[in-house]
Amino acid sequence: MKMSVDKDETLQRLKAAVHYTVGRLCQKTGEDHRREFSRQVIAAIAETTFRQCDIFAKDLEAFARHAKRSTVTTDDVKLVARRSTALSIYIQNKSEELNQEQKDLKKKNTGKRKSRETEEESRE
Amino acid sequence: MAERDAEIVFKKDTVHKLLSGFFKEEKTKLSGDAALLMAEMLKIFVEEAAVRSQKQAESEDCDEVEIEHFEKILPQLVRMSTFSSCLAPEF
Repeated sequence: MKMSVDKDETLQRLKAAVHYTVGRLCQKTGEDHRREFSRQVIAAIAETTFRQCDIFAKDLEAFARHAKRSTVTTDDVKLVARRSTALSIYIQNKSEELNQEQKDLKKKNTGKRKSRETEEESRE
Repeated sequence: MAERDAEIVFKKDTVHKLLSGFFKEEKTKLSGDAALLMAEMLKIFVEEAAVRSQKQAESEDCDEVEIEHFEKILPQLVRMSTFSSCLAPEF
């Protein structure tokens, strides 16, 4: 069983990672609109984002369980995004992008595998 | 010469650990692609929060975006993102 100290440290590190990215995103938004974000508001957005992950995670888990799976997949993510149409479309497009990347990757690997097989044959 | 800004993202590993930590059951896993998509979704969540807060500050003629601007737009943000709006986080 993990020591609770380790768990706290991991949690702090994750919170810090979220805070860092939130800070950068707020900074960029601030630059785009010429209005700076106070440190407190960045911390508040970071905290909210962190808690939102809890809500997302529980929803994702419920969807996967409903589909009788123990692994959360992109189908579950699409359901979570369903709440907002614009978000839904965006996520759908991203998902397709990912699928296309994987297909391209598979084609490359298949090519390598075939040439490796011929090499092994000639060695025997 | 101006450099192109690198895209700001949530790291896949961070998102993976984050979400996995919140699962209720030990057997529940998260696929790599799902983690990537969730990273996108979180980014959108933050950008929405930031832009809406900024607009609120603008409507109040404030030079800086403060916590009260974020608080005002938070209910709408949460309603947009979750199925259970009654679970809105408290400060």
